Amino acid sequence: MKREEFVAAAWLDAGEVLRSRWLLLCLCVYTVLGAVFVLVGMRESSVYGFTGTGRVLFSLCHALVIVLPLLALLATGQIVNRARDDGSLELLLSHPIGRTAYLSGVTLVRGFALTAPLALVLGALVFLGAIAFDQPIPFTFLIRAFSIAVAQLVAFVGLGIATSVMVRHPARAITVLFVIWATGVALLDFAGIALMLRWRIPAQAVFVLAALNPVQAARMALLSSAEPSLATLGPVGFYLANRVGSTALFVIGLVWPVFVGVSAWLAAWWAFCRGDLV
Amino acid sequence: MRIEVQRVSKRFGAVTALSDVTFCIEPGRRVALIGPNGSGKSTLNRILMGLLTCDGEVRIDGHSPFRDRVEIARGLAYVPQAPPQLGARVDELVAAVTRVRAIERREVERVAAALELDLREQGGHPFRTLSGGMKQKFLIALAFSSGASLLLLDEPTGSLDADARERFFGLFDELDPLTTLILCSHRLEEIRPLVDHVLFLEDGRLVYDGAAASFLDRCTVSVLEVWADESAARWLSSRGFHPTPAGVWVRNATHAEKMKLLQELAAELGSSLRNVNARDLERLDLTVAGRVGGRG
Repeated sequence: MKREEFVAAAWLDAGEVLRSRWLLLCLCVYTVLGAVFVLVGMRESSVYGFTGTGRVLFSLCHALVIVLPLLALLATGQIVNRARDDGSLELLLSHPIGRTAYLSGVTLVRGFALTAPLALVLGALVFLGAIAFDQPIPFTFLIRAFSIAVAQLVAFVGLGIATSVMVRHPARAITVLFVIWATGVALLDFAGIALMLRWRIPAQAVFVLAALNPVQAARMALLSSAEPSLATLGPVGFYLANRVGSTALFVIGLVWPVFVGVSAWLAAWWAFCRGDLV
Repeated sequence: MRIEVQRVSKRFGAVTALSDVTFCIEPGRRVALIGPNGSGKSTLNRILMGLLTCDGEVRIDGHSPFRDRVEIARGLAYVPQAPPQLGARVDELVAAVTRVRAIERREVERVAAALELDLREQGGHPFRTLSGGMKQKFLIALAFSSGASLLLLDEPTGSLDADARERFFGLFDELDPLTTLILCSHRLEEIRPLVDHVLFLEDGRLVYDGAAASFLDRCTVSVLEVWADESAARWLSSRGFHPTPAGVWVRNATHAEKMKLLQELAAELGSSLRNVNARDLERLDLTVAGRVGGRG
């Protein structure tokens, strides 16, 4: 992969991201969520055992665990199949731009479009808490929460890119993206518990299945640092938190989503490099 | 570039797009790729660009276009029949292409200007908002400024007006004699001056691979106009001629039909025949082309 090829592909996609207002949309979503949690949570409260900026960040990240997968899937799930459909991929790849350079370029641009506004909003929240509300800056939790959010983005950007490469019809890709999001978000550990009760599946198997969900992994990593109780963590998180400990949950919450995302991206890259490009 | 295609087949599910296609194009050859809609022309183009896998073997200057696509693409330029709906601004596209091809922007501007497209004026506009003609001129400018030694042009003048087409033909004067051209077109005004060889595809099979002149002789559609006395009306009707309000009898004919009819007109109508005019239409009769067959 040559640098010029990568830059050309990334530059063209960056223009597309700006035109389609993706950066703005992400910034707005993060800002609205942040503003809501500032309004309701910056004042004294100890629902989760800590207050102020830390609580706002905690609430925001909890919401982001649900929102980020959706944003990441929508931002990436129709790049390649739509470009195939409208002929722009054929034209672009008639020039000396490698498959790897193209896929890497669009992936990194979309990843940046999702991550940069998040960093900006989290930074702004901390700054606001320190200046306007005289709150201490919770550096540890901030770094921890941002790392988990980035891991989530890696997971779902990878899954989105894989969908856009492997599902050729853009309209059908929407269905697949929704199924991925619904599976990740709606079916946290609760469906697994229902299965366990209904068919007497071993608890460990259910816990492993639930923990394989990157959203669940991120949620557990986030919650275990703040409130490792059964009520907030759910059965799987509570079991794993007690079994492997808070630090291990954090590591799983980082490593597993990244592994899922990178694996999905590599599968997409393999298919993109070996199959028909148009 | 030298193109060797050996027993190439391509299927999309149950549909066979290309079947056992074999040909060779030497460097510098100007080839028309002709065939009815769905005959496999676009598929073949895409295989040559390395965008599709296929059975059989394709070599461009000894390289596999699929495996060595970027290497091949450095020397290949393509103008699609239908410009894509790219949202990118014209300047962004020029920047991307000049970057990967290591060419100067002013060279693209020069070729565009030769087609009467002012890139400085249009540079800020999104590509998809340009008119059909402007899009085509821009893509032609990118292709001809690339210095490519293989040009794949798929109906490149479909949206150009007559003046722009003339300017487009002028661009070929500047090409290196060793530049290989593959032109998908049904327009005789393009094929006649630009190509010396024809590949004719039908239902995914190569049915003609030979000299352009003999192909065009046989497939060019002509219109025959006959001025004759009223006594010839019955005979002319029986031969498929139709009277116009101006009293002229007309019918379309392929080359072979034209030659036969001209002989018959003289022999059968005798003194009742006042005048005959035969002129070529700027299109090919592809139903006849399919029957031409073989290698010329």
